[in-house]
Amino acid sequence: MLFSSLPFLYTFLPCVILIYFLVPDRWKNMVLLLSSLIFYGWGERRFLIFMIISIAQGYVFGCLVQQYRQDQKRAKLCLTFSAVLSLGMLCYCKYADFFISGFNTLTGLSLPLLRVALPIGISFYTFQVLSYVVDVYRGQVEAQKSFIDLAAYIAMFPQLIAGPIVRYADIQEQLRHRSHSLEQAALGARCFVIGLSKKVLIANVLYQLITVFKDSREPSILFYWLYAVACTLHIYFDFSGYSDMAVGLGRIFGFQFPQNFNYPFISASITEFWRRWHMTLGGWFRDYVYIPLGGNRGSRGRQLRNILIVWALTGLWHGAAWNFVLWGLFFAILLMGEKLLYGKALGRTHVVKHLYTLLLVLVSFVLFDANSVHQAFTRIAAMFGGGQIPWTSVESLYYLRSYAVIFFIALVGATPLPAKLVARLDRSRGGQMLTGTLEPIALTALLMVSTAFLVDGSFNPFLYFRF
Amino acid sequence: MSNRRNNIVTLCLLGGCIFGFGLWARFKPDDALSQSERRQLTQRPALTLSSVMDGSYMSNYEKYAPDQFPLRDSFRTVKALVSYDLLRQKDNNGVYLENGYASKLEYPMNLDSLDHAAERFQYLYEHYLKDNAGKLYLSVIPDKNAFLAQQGGYPAMDYDVFIQKVRERAPYLQYIDITDLLSIEDYYRTDLHWRQEQIADVAQRLAQEMGTQVGDRYREKELERPYYGVYYGYAALPLPAEQIRYLTSDVLEACTVYNYETQTTGPIYDLEKGSGKDPYELFLSGSVSLLRIDNPAADTDRELIIFRDSFGSSLAPLLAEAYKTITLVDIRYLGSPMLGRMLDFHGQDVLFLYSTGVLNHSETLK
Repeated sequence: MLFSSLPFLYTFLPCVILIYFLVPDRWKNMVLLLSSLIFYGWGERRFLIFMIISIAQGYVFGCLVQQYRQDQKRAKLCLTFSAVLSLGMLCYCKYADFFISGFNTLTGLSLPLLRVALPIGISFYTFQVLSYVVDVYRGQVEAQKSFIDLAAYIAMFPQLIAGPIVRYADIQEQLRHRSHSLEQAALGARCFVIGLSKKVLIANVLYQLITVFKDSREPSILFYWLYAVACTLHIYFDFSGYSDMAVGLGRIFGFQFPQNFNYPFISASITEFWRRWHMTLGGWFRDYVYIPLGGNRGSRGRQLRNILIVWALTGLWHGAAWNFVLWGLFFAILLMGEKLLYGKALGRTHVVKHLYTLLLVLVSFVLFDANSVHQAFTRIAAMFGGGQIPWTSVESLYYLRSYAVIFFIALVGATPLPAKLVARLDRSRGGQMLTGTLEPIALTALLMVSTAFLVDGSFNPFLYFRF
Repeated sequence: MSNRRNNIVTLCLLGGCIFGFGLWARFKPDDALSQSERRQLTQRPALTLSSVMDGSYMSNYEKYAPDQFPLRDSFRTVKALVSYDLLRQKDNNGVYLENGYASKLEYPMNLDSLDHAAERFQYLYEHYLKDNAGKLYLSVIPDKNAFLAQQGGYPAMDYDVFIQKVRERAPYLQYIDITDLLSIEDYYRTDLHWRQEQIADVAQRLAQEMGTQVGDRYREKELERPYYGVYYGYAALPLPAEQIRYLTSDVLEACTVYNYETQTTGPIYDLEKGSGKDPYELFLSGSVSLLRIDNPAADTDRELIIFRDSFGSSLAPLLAEAYKTITLVDIRYLGSPMLGRMLDFHGQDVLFLYSTGVLNHSETLK
């Protein structure tokens, strides 16, 4: 089930909210767990088993690791078992065919592909289970004694299929004791509606342009650039919209999930971009891969090796294909370049550092969105005039005109300007009155317009499902 | 407004919408069909253990929810207005408005589709027409984009090139050009079709090129019911209604139409269908695979077979007076290989009359 679907918005969500707030506190986690299983099983019944195995092994090995905390060898063994099980399942479901085809290419063999369907959200919940068991091993958290509570944490539907990657340590206390308030619920509802609007009114509309571009038989340089910008903005609004909805739902149910995006397109370097983009994933790789590998310590060569490993894995996490690996390595090279070569010089510029960041991010998402490395390079070359195609075409000019307002809204919406404007208004008493009066009306209008788009539209894809 | 009051208002409004529409959607009786889109709406799926276990309940419910959502047409209109007026998009669901006419983007030219259409025509030629003594003609009807797109800056095919490519693919057909007789005023504002009362000159041109002639004296009649064409539903905008007018005469009133599907005979204009969900079906009952117009007042033995799409429905009556019989074949609904069992080819003239829209999406031609 998608958050941005009518069955979720007008059937599932009201039912869950009603039941959740009617039952006593001790039953709330059970309600969350059961509703999460229904949410997940709605479209992926057969994959429930993977999630239940993941939860069960996380629970058992979490308890065992805690039990053997004085016996490092046994604790480590349990941790290893858990990690192998988690990663094994992820590899089987997501990467088996990638590795088999790679092996076939290298050896000339033709081993049959397994063609395993990818359970949605497996990358997200696998990382949550992994981090939970590792944190127990490190002694940073106590193992959860209640299976229901742990299962509710891992399977919790607001963050189940698209993150943010919530660490157990972040909501450990909230799982046991959390408060519900009018203020939190209103804040959550606000966040949810804004996320829904980002997804339905911007990301879905931009996706239509991407589809038109991919079906077009009239390529032009302008059309490639329109595609690149639409693709970049689509991925941002799609994913950040979903994250906002997750954070908002979490608030309604009394949880404080971490933010996942912080205006990444205003970054002045790729390093900063990754501090603002998919922050919970970056933090996860930093704490569970990069630092354990040695991080910034050790020789320069070792540091570079660590960066390469982390970013190859980051790319691979996004998809089992070479373009994703290259996408990760592309960022690794840029990050190393900024760290070792031109970072300081870049920082001294004003406009150039932003243009540099935006251009490279734009190129990176063309690589990200491609079906193959060859297609990615063809598209990138075409953007820079390498395709022997005209500058413009009737079609590209038409779609530029047709999507100009959407682009404008998306570009402004991707910056802190709207939030700053509201904050500025809030500083004066009159402005506060105005925003206070307009906000509920604007949110209701956004919900209704989003509903109108869902009632009418057939375009409602969700990119991050495949992760 | 204090923060607390602001929060209460926000929650009441948003909660009211979600719970209110949720309850309304749950208890509202299902609508059978969408008048504006002229299609049946998905009905509530039955909740059974087996439908849940095999997943069909969930997938059917996903289709059901948007089809039966309360105030569905109003929500669609809101979406269209936001797309056109607020987001300034040039089209909504591929439909654009220009000079009061709604039209669907027909772009780009699909050469594979032309090849497929040509292959189907070739099949008919090889199997039924090559040894038939009658003459073979082709005429192509441009869609509304040919007249609207360029002035509005909408992407459109080069219609001259398109027609040339069709002709090149069917060299055994003698082409009859009717494009110079057509303008945007000859089409409905909210529909893809041409208006019968505007195309008498087209019928005359076709008849003349096929070696016969038809008159231009008709009585014009009008359906009382307002007409909303197919683009009205696509656009979901409050466009004004139109009227369907049809041309008749003593000869046409004496003509009968035999429907091979229902094995019934009726008048040339099906007034019952004219008051149905798609009033354009007034013309030869709409989508029928095989029909025959018999003209008892004909002073000739000439016969005509028209391979056609829905544009042919309103044109064929205007050719009726020049022929003893006109057989209309729609190979979208009747496979070409089946045709030999249904029809006897014995020297009739043959006209392939197709709109650019169908030729550019010819996957439906069998």
